[in-house]
Amino acid sequence: MVRPDPGSFRDPASRVVFRDGRVLRLLDQRGLEAWNAVASAEFFTRGIAAGRIIETEPTDDPTGTAAGALEHPRLPLITYPYEWTFGMLKDAALLQLDLLDEALQEGFTLKDATPFNIQFRGGKPVFIDIGSFEPYRKGEPWLGYRQFTRQFLFPLLMHAWAGIPFQPWLRGDPEGPTAAHMRAIIRGRKRWNPATILHIRLQARMEDRMRGSAVRSELRSAGFNAEMIRANVGRLRKLVASLEPHPSRAGWAGYQECAHVGRDRDAKSKFLDDILGQGDIGTVLDLGANDGHFSHIAAGRGALAVAVDGDEPVLDRLHASLDGEPIATVLADLTNPSPSLGWRLTERPGLWERVDPDLVVAYGLIHHLIYTASVPPTSVLDWLREFECPIVVEFVSPEDEMVKVLTANKEEAELHPGRTEAEFRSLLDGRFTVKAEQALEGGTRILFHLLPA
Amino acid sequence: MSIFAYLDAGSGSLLLQAILGGLAGIAVAFRAFKSRITGKKAVEDAVASADEPEQVTEGS
Repeated sequence: MVRPDPGSFRDPASRVVFRDGRVLRLLDQRGLEAWNAVASAEFFTRGIAAGRIIETEPTDDPTGTAAGALEHPRLPLITYPYEWTFGMLKDAALLQLDLLDEALQEGFTLKDATPFNIQFRGGKPVFIDIGSFEPYRKGEPWLGYRQFTRQFLFPLLMHAWAGIPFQPWLRGDPEGPTAAHMRAIIRGRKRWNPATILHIRLQARMEDRMRGSAVRSELRSAGFNAEMIRANVGRLRKLVASLEPHPSRAGWAGYQECAHVGRDRDAKSKFLDDILGQGDIGTVLDLGANDGHFSHIAAGRGALAVAVDGDEPVLDRLHASLDGEPIATVLADLTNPSPSLGWRLTERPGLWERVDPDLVVAYGLIHHLIYTASVPPTSVLDWLREFECPIVVEFVSPEDEMVKVLTANKEEAELHPGRTEAEFRSLLDGRFTVKAEQALEGGTRILFHLLPA
Repeated sequence: MSIFAYLDAGSGSLLLQAILGGLAGIAVAFRAFKSRITGKKAVEDAVASADEPEQVTEGS
């Protein structure tokens, strides 16, 4: 059975469908012509060889309705820009600009410029929308420029220059902030930065003044050409490459210095590694992954580790350190993960719909959910049970030093029941069976290997 | 918009690209703006003259 990808419908020339676990791209006549032209282009074959463009092979059209069909490898995890760190969006922006520049040099262009066309593999961005490439037509401007500014440049600028995280904005509006929004956001000295003047203030003004005017033929007859796009792309690249996260965007950066982390790390590593060694595990979901220590252990055993954390600076460091290891970094607040979004609420599925773990690791996590986020322990265990797979969880008793810190300003009556070891064990009944357990050295923490009941 | 573009590229953002296109681009921007201004003015003039009421001689 052929199932259309609900996120691939905007471009009539090229759309993705799934069949028996395969990822196919169906092309109309124009899409097929663009593919035939680009398939032999040097930048394209070079991009595939370097892993910057997704592998693509012609195949048979299973529907019999398309002009042509292509096949891509299936990516084990799809993530969206609102789940990316600053460094991930920056890497994706640079790839987008580099591919456009290389394409223009060989007479091609990219018809759009959205981070949804990019995914991450081993920490490196890979361009997945082959349908974006098409022959450049003389005199045409870059149709994706405005989209690039809204979905790449402005989110990075609001983060770097104003200290405003872009992820909540992109989650609320995946189209990204407009130039007019940015004009209101960028204040102080940065208002006079050439990038602000040109890409934000002038764009906002021109967009406002010229709404609905047909300008493409005017540009063509005035002598616009690809070199002008390249000049713009070159300067955008320099600007993007110079951006760094705002100094105020710091979070859990001191986690590793907590006393219990160093003390328990070896025992926790061994407990996990023993479990990983017991069988073939494809995907490990590392919840509260922090610096990715346990994700690295899973990756070392050949699994794909999905490292989820809400602390952007720490996760960004993990992303930057990756060099091909099968670790996918996902920025998410576990108490408020990405919901389903977009057209018919199926275009961008929610985070948990995209992850299918064989093992969930919840080290150093559930006490934060219980004591900081005030999630009842019963609900935490119900949630873990919903992953329908074995769980490795660290139980932290109310006597633990970290719990004392978390509850310093809370009274007993303000806390949910089910927090003691005895209560925790009774809550496991009916949900999980305990396959293995190990008390940690401090006496307040226990590791459990749980199987769904 | 061309039938080939599924994306709304924004008129102002398209024209801005000439300004962002280096020195040669600025010349293009100038020519495009000039044709806009003269073209627009010519249209406006034509519309204004068509809308003008016929002159009526006072007191007639």
